[in-house]
Amino acid sequence: MGAFEYRQAEEIRDAFSRHGVRYLFIGKSGAILLGFPDTTQDADLFVERSLENGEALVAALPDLGFDLTPQQAQEVRAGKDFVQLKNGPFDLDLVFAPDGIETFADAWNRRVEVEGFPVCHPDDIIASKEATNRLKDRESLPRLRSFRDYWKARR
Amino acid sequence: MPIQDPRQDSKLFGAIPPEWLEEFEAAARRPLKTRFRYAFIKTYRPVLDDSPFRAFDSMEGYRRWCEENLPDWLGYGRV
Repeated sequence: MGAFEYRQAEEIRDAFSRHGVRYLFIGKSGAILLGFPDTTQDADLFVERSLENGEALVAALPDLGFDLTPQQAQEVRAGKDFVQLKNGPFDLDLVFAPDGIETFADAWNRRVEVEGFPVCHPDDIIASKEATNRLKDRESLPRLRSFRDYWKARR
Repeated sequence: MPIQDPRQDSKLFGAIPPEWLEEFEAAARRPLKTRFRYAFIKTYRPVLDDSPFRAFDSMEGYRRWCEENLPDWLGYGRV
């Protein structure tokens, strides 16, 4: 398995669009889409938790090369708070209840579109990382906050 | 987004350290596809990368699992 590539992000966008999956890029991968210059390993997606969206997601993941067992498909369909997929062509984290964000609808209403990719607003990305309060997030937050200020000023 | 010398507008960017500002400006000049190539990397992370699938009922459960199972140096522990 190699690093996540732009064409794979396009594949997510296209497959999720075909299947009607409601999602947002979040975390550092979302920030990178917005222009934040940093490094990361995983694509993090904030996925709306609903029966319909869970079904759509389970239908879309095989299109991207993720091979789910029936039990794994059920856990994705059920919208467990956090699902980590490493059984496909790239690492994918599915987050159904990110720390620091009240509802998917709130984040969706604040989303930013970047070349067709739906991305969480930088305020939401920062709120999520602040609420998580991991060592690795705490180290990157000052630079991410500065990027948010830069991004807002440039809009 | 128009590119300009950020140092000309200290009101907008005054609080941002100059070296970060230069990095933000440089990134803004790159196409998204190029930014991807620079941003996404792949290195082996012990334990975390050793299972093809994990699902957690709660974020709290996931955070606790990280703290109990991952090496501290990966940085997944809460402060």
